Amino acid sequence: MEILSIIFIVVGLFFLIVAAIGVLRLPDIFSRSHAVSLTDSIGAFFMLIGLALHEGFSMNVFKILAVLALLYLQNPVIAHATVRAALRAGLKPWQREAS
Amino acid sequence: MLSASFDWVHLGLGLILSFTVAWINSGHSPFVPNFRLWGKIILYIPWLFFRILQSSLHVTKLILHPALPIDPKLIHVKTKLANPAAVVLLGNSITLTPGTITAEVEPDALIVHALDDISAEDVTSGRIESKIAEVYRNGE
Repeated sequence: MEILSIIFIVVGLFFLIVAAIGVLRLPDIFSRSHAVSLTDSIGAFFMLIGLALHEGFSMNVFKILAVLALLYLQNPVIAHATVRAALRAGLKPWQREAS
Repeated sequence: MLSASFDWVHLGLGLILSFTVAWINSGHSPFVPNFRLWGKIILYIPWLFFRILQSSLHVTKLILHPALPIDPKLIHVKTKLANPAAVVLLGNSITLTPGTITAEVEPDALIVHALDDISAEDVTSGRIESKIAEVYRNGE
């Protein structure tokens, strides 16, 4: 059980690091928000499941699952609000020069 | 409940507060209890999670690729879904999937920002939409 939780947390950390690299490498707010959504939907999932496995069966597991459910409800809303605000403010998405 | 204290003060306070909130909101909540619909949505979640896992790996590959082979674009997606809640579910699913983000919602179309062609194809192929249409077909 411990080993499983360690594996989950390490996988989650890997995705969080990739997302951070993505935020630094990608060119504009639209594509960066894709990297951020990587954090939310997969990094946080693996981290929280790893924590739940580490915790074993107790009240805290329900709290962790509640956090996960709220995260999955809120993150699309926040990402959508950010991108829509950027679009309405007149930002043009970065594009390949050739096309 | 979550504080794991089951004495009468906490339980009573919780009951009163939750009934008050439910009563205040009862006039304008779109979420009428509909257990068949909820059952179908719960069946829909594992499928969505599998899609999220796949596209996460794709976006990870894009980010770690030395040449950064991205080709971001805005695409317009017509949707045939009539129910507002179904459109919300579609928009949320698209945003939750890495690589695609819903940028603007119009009554019969979505404007989606996609990171590259493979991510965009996820949305334009209408796979998510047909799945949601299936969820809502008999639920009403």
